[in-house]
Amino acid sequence: MTPLAEVRGVHFSYPAPERRRPAPFALSDVTFDVASGEILGVIGPNSAGKTTLIRLLTKVVEPARGEIRLGGRPLARLTRWELAREVAVVPQELPHALPFSVEQLVLMGRYPHAPRRFFETAGDVEVARDAMAATGVLHLAGAPLDGLGGGERQRVVLARALAQEPRLLILDEPTAHLDLRYQVECVALLRHLNRERATTIVLVSHDLNLAAELCDRVLLLADGSVARLGSPADVLDEATLARVYGCAVAVDRAPSGRPRVQLVWPGAAPRPGKEVADPRSR
Amino acid sequence: MLGREVRLAAPPDRIVSLVPSATELIFALGAEERLVGVTDFCDHPPAARRKPSVGGMVSPSLEAIVTLRPDVVIATDQGNREETFVQLGRVGIPVYLVHAGSVAMMMDVIGRLGALTGRPGSVAPLVERLRARIAAIAGAVSGRRRPRVLYVLWPEPLLVPGRSAIVTELIALAGGDSITAGEAGDYPRYSIEAAVARAPEVIVLARHGGTTGPIARDRWDRLANLPAVRAGRVHSVDGSVLHRYGPRIVDGLEQLARVIHPEAFR
Amino acid sequence: MTHGRRLAVVLAALGAGLLALGAAALFLGSARLTPGAVLAVLTGHAPADSTERVVVLSLRLPRIAAAAVAGGALAVAGVGFQALTRNPLAEPSVLGVSSGAAFGVVVAQLLGGGSGVGDSVRLALFGFGGAVVAGGAVYLIASAHGGLPIQTLLLAGVIVGIFFASATTVLTSLVDIDRLGGIVHWLLGNVSPVPPASLALFAALAGVGFWLIVGQARRLNVLALGEEAALQLGVSAERLKARIFVGAALLTATVVAFAGPIGFVGLVVPHVLRLVLGPDNRLLVPAALLAGGAFLLAADTLARNVVAPAELSVGVITSFCGAPVFVYLLRTRTRSPL
Repeated sequence: MTPLAEVRGVHFSYPAPERRRPAPFALSDVTFDVASGEILGVIGPNSAGKTTLIRLLTKVVEPARGEIRLGGRPLARLTRWELAREVAVVPQELPHALPFSVEQLVLMGRYPHAPRRFFETAGDVEVARDAMAATGVLHLAGAPLDGLGGGERQRVVLARALAQEPRLLILDEPTAHLDLRYQVECVALLRHLNRERATTIVLVSHDLNLAAELCDRVLLLADGSVARLGSPADVLDEATLARVYGCAVAVDRAPSGRPRVQLVWPGAAPRPGKEVADPRSR
Repeated sequence: MLGREVRLAAPPDRIVSLVPSATELIFALGAEERLVGVTDFCDHPPAARRKPSVGGMVSPSLEAIVTLRPDVVIATDQGNREETFVQLGRVGIPVYLVHAGSVAMMMDVIGRLGALTGRPGSVAPLVERLRARIAAIAGAVSGRRRPRVLYVLWPEPLLVPGRSAIVTELIALAGGDSITAGEAGDYPRYSIEAAVARAPEVIVLARHGGTTGPIARDRWDRLANLPAVRAGRVHSVDGSVLHRYGPRIVDGLEQLARVIHPEAFR
Repeated sequence: MTHGRRLAVVLAALGAGLLALGAAALFLGSARLTPGAVLAVLTGHAPADSTERVVVLSLRLPRIAAAAVAGGALAVAGVGFQALTRNPLAEPSVLGVSSGAAFGVVVAQLLGGGSGVGDSVRLALFGFGGAVVAGGAVYLIASAHGGLPIQTLLLAGVIVGIFFASATTVLTSLVDIDRLGGIVHWLLGNVSPVPPASLALFAALAGVGFWLIVGQARRLNVLALGEEAALQLGVSAERLKARIFVGAALLTATVVAFAGPIGFVGLVVPHVLRLVLGPDNRLLVPAALLAGGAFLLAADTLARNVVAPAELSVGVITSFCGAPVFVYLLRTRTRSPL
């Protein structure tokens, strides 16, 4: 089965900085596939290249070397709106004080499907409502974005992404600002979307346990290149994580059977019977 | 005048004047009954103030002008806007331009206005009267050494009369030698330094409605090295009679002569 | 109510308002014509060369039409700049674009006179050049460190505006004293009765600017989400920004060429429209065309009647209205984008 997305030998760096800025970031020789219908997690330390990867996948920037393909077609040959029909992004945050209502925002997700139309059609409105219903914000359709709480905003933006009817959904730190309850809801929602609508999901996150729980495969990025790619159990092993993140971690099993990563806080006594991996001892 | 041709079937019965100088001349020619509209600045003779006003010189009201149904509008390129002439032309009102940068041009304007207002007979007496007075004043100061004169139209920025200003000729007729007579234009800007460098012996400050007297003097009095200041020869004159080319210009000329050659008028 | 129908209702209401204002303005003026006389002219009963006819048809009507076109153009330019910068305070005069256009037009005026249609094209072209340079300078200064932060944008606009105003002052100081009054008067912004051929050109240029912006209204909504999000939704942000900028600069330059620099229309009108209609640019842009026309028409009618027979410059009135609105917006909206 052809992968939904293929990233092949991609190199990228941001334009040369001004003298006082830090060194430019680069992605080097990144190669991986996104299989159709899977949930792929992308993890790694800050400035490992996770956000850059999203930008490359959505053609916000273009690789210096290498190629990215979507459904077999090179990204370079797709127009922006063709791409936006297949790939939707749920960004970390919405800009502050947008004057639109929830429904107006979600309807913007319909733009790529008819970019030349001036007004949305009744069909567009229906798709938008479906999306709002799927994420549980339909009752907020007329509400201004301003008054919404963090969890609700997240779901509204997700609805907008769903309104694009994408094959691939990319989420950038979806649980970063959410209360615990909404984090749990988010996971449930994403699982549901993946199973019921066969939406392929790429999830970029800091939260290793979220990735472990939710994802079929995990891509670990470090310093701009692929450190590991595989199932959560393969990737989330103590030695690898300790090396990439530069601190001691302990990995055991969560009740669901998935790996569970715990930090080893300095000065804490080890729990009886548990051996702690120390990067210096290998 | 000035290359614009105006054709009228007969002397106009209704004239609007946008030029205070022309207004004064029309009254002096005895043709004021043909004058149906003037500007806010047309304040001489006092009877002119009783005529209907169409606004200022820079932006008179087109509607007011049109409502007065003039046969011709008298305007100038020294104070009215070209846009005004263009707009009047568009609604079919002829515009007659006047311009006077010298005494000779002024006499020419008088002649033309006389013809325009159907009073050619009044031209010669008026011109004679003015010429006689000018000659008298010029005679009184002839033969005397010409002091260097600085005429200040406006102190800040410093504006002085240049080659094409009628005041320059008046200074010469009054027996003075204007230090800015060679400058191009009507009333160009001038730097105080350049003025000081020419060591004027008489400084004439123009009054525009009575407010520039004491204040302006201050600045010049501080330049104690100037011959004019040392000799106490900083004077103010009534600008309104010197910047217009109406019949009162001879009064202006006399003021200038008295200031430049006081000894000739004792 | 569907989008389309809402737009139609809004435009019908504004259009009716504009026509009513225009009709009322025909009856007002320093010539003090009786309503009967004006009606006689409008119904064709006045004699062919009567003053009433001249006043109503050759003076008032063209001036009313010019005011409506100018006001609409400025308001649409305002909406365009606001969408471009995601900032409700952006507007041609605030961003210095108006001053740049004025400089361009003054240069053109000093290089040669004339008031035919060809000369008007030349003035508009020079004005456009000035507007583009000013707008470009503001953009470069304000985006020097990434993004377009509101404070920097406003500062850059003020600075560029001052620069071009100074450059214009240099030019005016070179002009001899007789023409000075005229130029100073022009710089205040005035609507004058534009003859039919020039008026058609004026409307055509404004129409091009309007068309450049209105077609992008839906994309401008998406642009409000930020450039990255807009790209990810399929909007070519760079191309959109360039097009809006050209359209808004053209609108500004055209108005400056025909009426001098008039400020604040692009600030006041979109602000009020947003309060009533909401943030959707698909409603705002067409509505601004009509509402802007009505606003400037009202201001100009005031300008030519309140101290008759003298006239105020309409730019004076728009500034008096606009400055308080600007302060209000500055206080309430500084922290948030559009």
